[in-house]
Amino acid sequence: MRATVFGATGVIGQALLPLLADENEVVAVSRGARAAEDGIRWVEADVAAGEGVAAALEGADVAYYLVHSLGARDFERQDRDAARSVSREASRAGVEQIVYLGGLGGDDPDASAHLRSRRETGEHLASDGVPVTTLRAAMVVGRGSAAFETILGLVKRLPVMITPSWVSTPTQPIALDDVARYLAGVAGNAAAIGEAFDAGGPEVMTYRQMIERIAVLLGKRPRIIEVPVLTPALSALWLELVTPVNASVARPLVEGLRNPTIAREERLRQLLPFELTPFDAAARQALEA
Amino acid sequence: MSKHPLRAWETSERVLESGGFESRQRVVVTEPAVEPSDSGARWLGVTYWRSVAGFTRGVVRASWREGGGRLKLLGGANLLTFGPPAVAVDGDTVSCRYAIQGGLLALRPGGSVTLAQRAVGSEYELTVTVEEYLPTLAARAGAPWWTGALYAKGQSPFHAAVSRRYFELLVRGRAA
Repeated sequence: MRATVFGATGVIGQALLPLLADENEVVAVSRGARAAEDGIRWVEADVAAGEGVAAALEGADVAYYLVHSLGARDFERQDRDAARSVSREASRAGVEQIVYLGGLGGDDPDASAHLRSRRETGEHLASDGVPVTTLRAAMVVGRGSAAFETILGLVKRLPVMITPSWVSTPTQPIALDDVARYLAGVAGNAAAIGEAFDAGGPEVMTYRQMIERIAVLLGKRPRIIEVPVLTPALSALWLELVTPVNASVARPLVEGLRNPTIAREERLRQLLPFELTPFDAAARQALEA
Repeated sequence: MSKHPLRAWETSERVLESGGFESRQRVVVTEPAVEPSDSGARWLGVTYWRSVAGFTRGVVRASWREGGGRLKLLGGANLLTFGPPAVAVDGDTVSCRYAIQGGLLALRPGGSVTLAQRAVGSEYELTVTVEEYLPTLAARAGAPWWTGALYAKGQSPFHAAVSRRYFELLVRGRAA
């Protein structure tokens, strides 16, 4: 099987490539030139501009779509254009399956613009008839994941945190290795073609609990004071001040934190059963990476 | 018109022999709101607490830590405290139960709130059941007369309205 991976240089893509390369011919897509690696051929393409997409998909059976424009001012438009470009070229190339990593919470009637855009991206990918397999995940626990780095930045730098009410929103983080394993497992899997699955981790927790558990791993004991009056804009600016995450990335993330991001069903766990990594182990692994 | 209208809305309340209150709200829907799994059960609980926050525009909101949750007024006063969610799945019946552990609105620890979905024929019944709860505001011997009025005219209808919103949110989320 030949798999083309868009977004191959990102955190998820980098974890997925070695899993795919074990058994498949892999074409990894990047905006810049890269040297070939074992079992992986790198090609240049820009999904936002639609350049090089057709060539990247030539001969592909499966296309992975791990791209997002978070941080761009008009991320919704960019995500839509990029997804439509890949959908169109995948259809022309005769691709049999598109695998897309979206976000939990996007179906919420009150979903934030970021989560809504993640859901709509899946719909745009399906617009030219290629069956899409969507995995919906909450925070991915791994080094380089924007959401995880945001939480980590807070814990490392602040002994006292004045937090908005989103710290009480429940979420179901998943380890980077586990989400990569799920992504690899659905490729060419007949039961997954055209289906959407919730990809939750093994534990449900609030962001407050997550902060407290990471703090324990770091040997810290931050004091958390929850206030009901911090707006997303103020929260994003504040996050930019105290964490390494840019405000343009933090703002859509913070807006999404008001929506619960937990799995509503367990079909993926039944389809691909394996022991999921506990949060503390995943966080420890990320801290040591 | 809603794609999944709530049918057979009922709300009832009674005082048990133990002195505790039992309150129950229910609706019937044609499609299951959640799947019969732990995740489905957890979703019932998550949706309920979102309904409380949504109905009060964030004035009353649940805050969770290891070991349980607190229903807070304006982020401060603890109106009620709860144990962690206990999820259960038995065939087509799925539920999420929270033990009431105290708070300003509980005369003593005890009782529970249970969110459930069960199959009834070809349809599904969604319920909110409060059992063995002893409200601080309920009329009782020795208490000022107005406490009973506050419960009957305030807390009780408030709870029923939240339940109604919870059912709507649950079904709307399913339809999304």
